[in-house]
Amino acid sequence: MKPSELLREALAPHLSTTAQTALDGALAEVAGGVSSVRFGTLLAGLSRHIKSRPLELGEAVVERGLELVPDWSIERWSTLETGRVVLILGRSDLASEAAAQALEDAFKFADEGETCALAKSLPLLPAPERFVWRAGECCRSNMRTVFESTACDSPYAARYFDDVAWKQTVIKALFVGAPLWRVRGLDGRLDEDLARMALDLVDERRSAGRPIPPDLWLCLGGFAGERAERALEDELQGAGARQRAAVGLAFARRGESARAADLAATEDHPIAARILRAAAEGRIDQELHRALEDPSLVAAHA
Amino acid sequence: MRFFDPHIHCISRTTDDYQAMADAGVRAVIEPAFWLGQPRTSVGSFVDYFSTLLGWERFRASQFGIHHYCAIGLNSKEANNEGLAREVLEIVPRFVTKEGVVAVGEIGYDEITAAEEHAYQVQLELAVQNEMVVMVHSPHRDKKRGIIRSLDVAQEAGVPMEKLIIDHNNEETVRDVLDRGAWAAFTIYPHTKMGSERMVELVKEYGPQRIIVDSSADWGVSDPLSVPKTAALMLERGIDPAAVEATTWGNALAAYGQSGQIDEQALLATPVIDQTRLFEDNSVLRGQPPRVDQGVPN
Repeated sequence: MKPSELLREALAPHLSTTAQTALDGALAEVAGGVSSVRFGTLLAGLSRHIKSRPLELGEAVVERGLELVPDWSIERWSTLETGRVVLILGRSDLASEAAAQALEDAFKFADEGETCALAKSLPLLPAPERFVWRAGECCRSNMRTVFESTACDSPYAARYFDDVAWKQTVIKALFVGAPLWRVRGLDGRLDEDLARMALDLVDERRSAGRPIPPDLWLCLGGFAGERAERALEDELQGAGARQRAAVGLAFARRGESARAADLAATEDHPIAARILRAAAEGRIDQELHRALEDPSLVAAHA
Repeated sequence: MRFFDPHIHCISRTTDDYQAMADAGVRAVIEPAFWLGQPRTSVGSFVDYFSTLLGWERFRASQFGIHHYCAIGLNSKEANNEGLAREVLEIVPRFVTKEGVVAVGEIGYDEITAAEEHAYQVQLELAVQNEMVVMVHSPHRDKKRGIIRSLDVAQEAGVPMEKLIIDHNNEETVRDVLDRGAWAAFTIYPHTKMGSERMVELVKEYGPQRIIVDSSADWGVSDPLSVPKTAALMLERGIDPAAVEATTWGNALAAYGQSGQIDEQALLATPVIDQTRLFEDNSVLRGQPPRVDQGVPN
């Protein structure tokens, strides 16, 4: 199965007969070859037939996506952007210069929703590195939707960004409030410099008397030595359950699973305790941070 | 009551205006593309203007719980710069099918020149090709002839009359528009186009069918609360509340809803405000605490 087939299958239950007819018509036209302007018009015009709603996929469908393309999650995709990505993938000349130009034009004239769809199509295209500047532009955006379309749930950033763009994206996720665990490939691209940037941000936030986003500790991995250790110890002073879980996980990620086990033993918040036990037992990948979004932990944090 | 102001140039209005509109019950607006009070000199200015209507301005409105739709088109005044107009007409198709673009507009005549005629016809064809609604601006000078010509040319181009809204009507033009089956919109500008008092009399005489009230508030002396104020006056003068509702909400929704670009489910849901969101590097806030998750009262 190809990603486009999975997307069409996921979208189908949301489409009325007229919407399905409109999408099929646009697909046939695109497959036959269209001008750049016409391509943009069709891409934009799907909004008339498909209203933006969550796809609400079952876990199995999301898993199939992750099997098809590693680090590619459609868990949070909307109906309209799915239709648009299907249309983009419907071009029969995706590797060509004409397609690259049409996509570049589409980016240039895109509204917020189209920008997100275009960005989400990038990891599925042949030679995705052709669009690395556009992807970088998306990660410069302060609109969370646009930022997340490239930075999160996609293999693109970790795979194709250069060092500067990659680290800016990771740190920026903390600024715009995009969950860092959803920046796929983070664990595979940690280094000393990124840990240093994260710790500089910790110092800055503490000087300003502002809280540290718990996701930040994911940036440390095993880097930054004593400075990282000190920052984690400091964070435990007066920490809530959510911070304690994040710090314990960060310790475990540094090879100190006993420290995570100690924190688990004294933790009274059940979900935080569960995260800490999992970390102590070796579940130390970024995905474990998903559990930190549990409403009871977020409420305790606030 | 809730109100739909289907003609207002929000980019010229302040956040205080948005707040006052929201407080007065304005829940949805349409911002048609127009000129900027002075002529533009390059096509890039149009691209950025259209993008602003679809982007930053829609976002700004949402921060006050107001749904912002727009109409895209080359206005009649700037159609007279023929070289620039040609370039603009090439990029207009890039925008008209976008999400929340409810019409091609505002287009039509200003001085009724050949250049205006050309731009009008090209854009009518675009509307027909994409099965779109058309919002027509009628001229200040020689208005009656301009309106009749707008109707004739649109009809010849194949625009269904139920998809045609003629704006800036007055007592002298309304009959022609309604008789053709088009929608007649009225801009409430107390000193020039139409006052609330006259509007009340018009609704008494013609009833609410296919009549729409709007503010056309812009960068000039104008009132973004024209629609709710006119509604209040209509009620005070004993006009049936259903007729008031039709002329200040329902008719606009029916006319522009034909575009398929109004997500009624989203429009009718209780608006929720989240001022912590950012657009590009901007927020509408300047240090105030953001309002989050506050329902907007009707």
